[in-house]
Parts: sequence; C-alpha cells; structure tokens
Amino acid sequence: MAIVEDPEDNEIAALNAVAVSFAGRRVLEIGCGDGRLTRRYVQEAASIVAIDPDAAAIAELREAMPGVDARAIGVDELDLPDHSVDIVLFAWSL
Amino acid sequence: MVDALSRAHRLLEPRGWIIDVHPTASDAAVEVGAVRTGRVDAGDAPRRHAAAARALAAVVDAGLLAIERTHQFTFYTYGDSLEELRDYVEENWRNARIDDETMARTREALRDDRRSRPRIHEHVQVTTLRGT
Repeated sequence: MAIVEDPEDNEIAALNAVAVSFAGRRVLEIGCGDGRLTRRYVQEAASIVAIDPDAAAIAELREAMPGVDARAIGVDELDLPDHSVDIVLFAWSL
Repeated sequence: MVDALSRAHRLLEPRGWIIDVHPTASDAAVEVGAVRTGRVDAGDAPRRHAAAARALAAVVDAGLLAIERTHQFTFYTYGDSLEELRDYVEENWRNARIDDETMARTREALRDDRRSRPRIHEHVQVTTLRGT
C-alpha cells in the first residue's frame, strides 16, 4: 500500500510558521500514532515522550525511533511530574 | 478536551508551549489534481473538530492559557489508486468513508487526468498557546 501523507511538508512548515522550535526542548506528544509527526522533529528535541492508545502504532514508532519514550497509553494514564516538559503537542488528538 | 488541556498545562514549564494541530470543521475533499470530485463522509469528525476549537476557546476564556499564534495549512493524503485511498480512509479514520458517487466521479476525473494521483485535501489549523 502506498499511501503518502503530506509529501509537501506543509505540516512541519506550519509548525515552523508559528515559530516554536523543538531544538533542545523536552516534548510530550499526545496522539503520536506511528510517529508521522514525531520523526519530523526527533533529531532536534532533547527528549520526547510520545503517547497513543494504539499499541500497534506505538510498536512501529519504537522500532523506527528507539530513542523516543513511546507509551501505549491514553492521556488519563500518563504519569509525568508537573512542570516537566517544555512543549505539549496535541497531534490531531484534541 | 478541556480536561486534557488543563492537564497539559500542569505538565508544562511555566513558559512552555502547548501546540494543537487539528483539522478545521470544514469537509475533507477528494481531488484529482485541482479538480474536486466530492468529499469524505467523515461521520461526526466535523463536530469533534469544532468541539476541539471550543475547548481551546474555553481554556483561554478561563485565563489558563493565551493563544500566541494560529496558522492554517492544507494537508494532502495521496493514494496510488482510488481504491487504496478509500480503504485507507475506512481503516484509519473513525466512521469515515468515500461514497459511491464520489468514487464514480473520481474515477472519471482520473480517466481525464492520467498524470495525477487521487488525494484527500484537508484544512488543518495549528495553534500555539502559553500559560498566562
């Protein structure tokens, strides 16, 4: 199957347009899926916690990006200390 | 949704950002090149996307967060074939489908334009918010 999402890179361009840099930031991504958006900033961020209730998608993300702390959970199960991240990214998940 | 935003706010450093990316409430279109052949029947998705926008407004009204910037962009999803695109929508979108009429119009458009692949065109908004 050859489905291609956003080959024009409009999404990352839009994130750049709102002028939030991921460089050196601690990021929590909620609704990461298989990491379609995560892979766009993984090289820049200091650390990433990526969550999604879809266990199969999280397994794909872990395989592709082993440095990401990927968890197959919903936001209600998330256990992180207060004030512990610089960016919370709701990736098509709100 | 408001609860999720409140929780995210607690996890943030005081000068951190919340970034929300979600489609607008407008329809996702099926296209061949620049020709719109129909829309994705996306079930309750427009209502959910509108609710997300209201949740953002609610946390801003409550004084918890302030909108820093918003930006809209187009998001295209391409399939090698129309059937592939239809199957992708049914498998990956919640309660969504491309109906038979749109499939027929798209096949016709593909016959007229053999160089283009079928695609879905979504309108998406990115919003950055910071604590007040």
